[in-house]
Amino acid sequence: MSLGGFAGKVLIVDLSEGAIRKEPLPEAFARDYLGGMGLTIKLAYERIKSGADPLAPENPIVLGVGPLVGTDLPSASRVYSVTKLPSSGTVGWSGAGGVTFGCMLKNAGYDHIVITGQAARPVFLEIQDGEVALRDAASLWGLGVQETCEALWKERARPAGVLAIGQGGENRVKFSMAYIDRIATLGRGGFGAVMGSKNLKAIVVQGAQGVSVADRKGYASLRKEIFEKIRAYPYLKEWQEIGLIKSFPFVDKEVYFKVKKKRVACVSCPIGCKDVVEIRDGRFKGLVACSSSAINLFTPLVYGMKDCREAIRLIARLDAYGLDMFEFFGLMGFARTLVEEGLISPGQAEPRIALDSLSSMEAWAGKIARREGLGEVLADGFQGVLEAFGDKALELAPALVKGMHPYAGPGSALPWDLFGTMELGQVLDPRGPHVGSSGSPTYFARRPLEVFPKHLARMGVPEQEVEGLLVRDAAGELSGLKVGALLRHAHRWFTILGSLGVCARAQINRFYNASFCARAYEAVTGIETPLAELRQRADRAWTLLRMVNLREGLRRERDESLPQQWFGKGRFKEYVSGNELSPQEAQAMIADYYRAWNWDPETGVPTQDALEKLGLQGLALRPA
Amino acid sequence: MPRYRIQAHDANCTGCLRCQLACSQAYQKAFNPSLARIRIGFHGVDFSIRFTTECVACGLCADNCLYGALEKSAEGEPG
Repeated sequence: MSLGGFAGKVLIVDLSEGAIRKEPLPEAFARDYLGGMGLTIKLAYERIKSGADPLAPENPIVLGVGPLVGTDLPSASRVYSVTKLPSSGTVGWSGAGGVTFGCMLKNAGYDHIVITGQAARPVFLEIQDGEVALRDAASLWGLGVQETCEALWKERARPAGVLAIGQGGENRVKFSMAYIDRIATLGRGGFGAVMGSKNLKAIVVQGAQGVSVADRKGYASLRKEIFEKIRAYPYLKEWQEIGLIKSFPFVDKEVYFKVKKKRVACVSCPIGCKDVVEIRDGRFKGLVACSSSAINLFTPLVYGMKDCREAIRLIARLDAYGLDMFEFFGLMGFARTLVEEGLISPGQAEPRIALDSLSSMEAWAGKIARREGLGEVLADGFQGVLEAFGDKALELAPALVKGMHPYAGPGSALPWDLFGTMELGQVLDPRGPHVGSSGSPTYFARRPLEVFPKHLARMGVPEQEVEGLLVRDAAGELSGLKVGALLRHAHRWFTILGSLGVCARAQINRFYNASFCARAYEAVTGIETPLAELRQRADRAWTLLRMVNLREGLRRERDESLPQQWFGKGRFKEYVSGNELSPQEAQAMIADYYRAWNWDPETGVPTQDALEKLGLQGLALRPA
Repeated sequence: MPRYRIQAHDANCTGCLRCQLACSQAYQKAFNPSLARIRIGFHGVDFSIRFTTECVACGLCADNCLYGALEKSAEGEPG
C-alpha cells in the first residue's frame, strides 16, 4: 500500500485451525472508512455471521489502529475493537488508550487483526514484526491481568504492548474486559469474555517497521500548530498533575496526593491520564495499583466504603480479574435487593452482600470471576439474574439499557443529573450504556450556552447546522439545546477521532478540531480529504455500525428504550433549564437524533436516501 | 548544528515516547522508536532514560518532552 500512516496489512488469525495469514489492507476500505475505528467496523461487518452467538467460535474479534497511530500527533494511540458483545448482544465498539500496544502494532506492520475460531487449549498470540505465532498459554491461564502482562514482559523487552484478560474473561464473565498494558480497559460489555471463549489469553506485540507520513512538510506544519496550542494551554500542568481528578470533585485531592505514585501516558500523549498509586500505610502498605484513572480507584467510596485504601485494594482485585467495576457494583446492589426481598436465600448469598465492605466485595468478585455458587448466575450479568429469578426480579431491577446498568445518571455510580449528550448516548450507542462516544460541550455540566457555537464548529458541525442545534428565546438569546440532534454530531466527532486514532477524552480532543483532523489525515495518508469528505466517511462508518446491528435484530422499542428509573422527582433534569425531565421530552430527543441522521424517526432505521448518500444502499435492514 | 547538555529526570518520565518518535522522525525519516538515539527503559511502573552512542545532543528530544523529564541547557556533550 502506498498510503502514508497505514501499515497496509491485516493479520488474520484462525484459532481453530491455528492458521495465520497476512492480507493487504484493501485501499478502497481505507479511503471509504478512514481507518481505525471506522475501518474496524467495516472489517467486522464483512465478517460477522448473522445470528452468531457472541461467545461462539465464529464471532470475530476485529482490532484496529488508525493511520495517525504511531506518529507523534498528540494522543494518537487509540486501539479499537468491534465484536458482538455478550452483555448487550449487540455489535459494539470498544476502545482504549493504546499505551504502547497501538504504536507497537503499527510498528509491527499491521493496521488490524481479525481473530476467529476457538483454540483447542489456551494460547496467546505473539507478533514480532513479520513473525507471528500462537504460543501455549498454559502457564498464563489462571493469572490475573497484571501478572499476565508482567509474565509476558519478563521474556520480552518493553515497549512490547500486551492486551490480556484475567480470570473473568477466561471464565466468560459477561462483563469482563481486556486490558492494554494492564492499565487501559477495552470492552465494557464483555470483550474479555469473547477473548476467553476463544481460549485467547493475550496478544503481545512489538515491531520496528516504522510509520511514515505522506507529506512530511505539511505534517510538520500541523504538528507545530497543535503543539503550540498545547504548550500555551494554561491548565496543562494541572491536568498532568492530577488528571481526571480535576473533573471529578468527589475525590479529595489531598487523598489523591497521599497515594499518588506517578502518571503514565499512552504513546504521544501530552496529558498522561493513567494513574499509578501506592498505598503507603496500613494493612495494604506497599500495594501498587494501576488504573486508567484514579477516579476508578476511588469509585467504591461512592458505594459507601470509607477507607480509600480499601477502595484501591478492591478495584485492584477487580482489575486483576478483569471485571467491569460499574457492572459489578450495579449487579451486587441488585443481588442485595433480591436477598432483602427473599428471592435469593441468605444461604445462597454467603458472605453477606455489603457494597461498603471490602471483604464482602472481594469475596464476591472472586466468586463471580471463578463462577462459584451464586457467582455462576451473577457472572452472566443482569440477563443471567433475570433469567434465574424471573419477573419478580425484573420489577426490582435498577435502570437497564440493553441488559446493562448505565453508569451515569440517577441511581448509578456517576450520579450526574443533567441530561446532556453523554446521558442520552447511553441509550443510543449500539454497544450499550457507555458515555464514551457521546461527548460534546455538555461534557462539563452547566457550561454557559455562549461557548456552544464555538465548540460545535470545532466538532465539525457545518456552519449552517449550528443554529439548528440551539434554542433561542423571543429576544434572540440562547435559551436551550437540542440534545438529540447534538448527539448525532457527537457520534460523528467521536467516529472521526476514533478512525484517525486520536483519544476522545475531553482533555485531549479540545486541542483538535474537525478541520485540523481533515488536514492531518490528508498529510499523514496522502488521501485527499476535504472536511466534507471527512464527515461523510465518518458518517458511513457509524451508519454501518447501525446497519450491522439492525441486521442482528436491534429494535428501537426493546434496545433503545429509556429506563423508567431516570424520570421523576430528583432524577434527570433538562440540561439547560434544570427542570425535571419528562419521558416524553427524552423520547422526542431520540426522534430528533434519528431525524438528524436521516433515519426513520419512529423506528431508527436509516432511510434509503441516507443509505444512498453514503453508498450503503442494498444492505439488510433487519434479520434474515 | 548546536549541541546541548541534556539532563534526564527519570522520575518525571511518563513513557509517552514522544522523545523517541521525534528523534527517529528527524534522523530516520520515519516514526520508529526502535531506531531512536534516546531510549526509554520500562521497569515496572518506572522509566529510565538513556542515550545511544549515536546521539548528537541536538536537543530535539528535550524540545518534545512535555513532562519535564528532559532538560536542555547550555551547549555541551550529552548529559
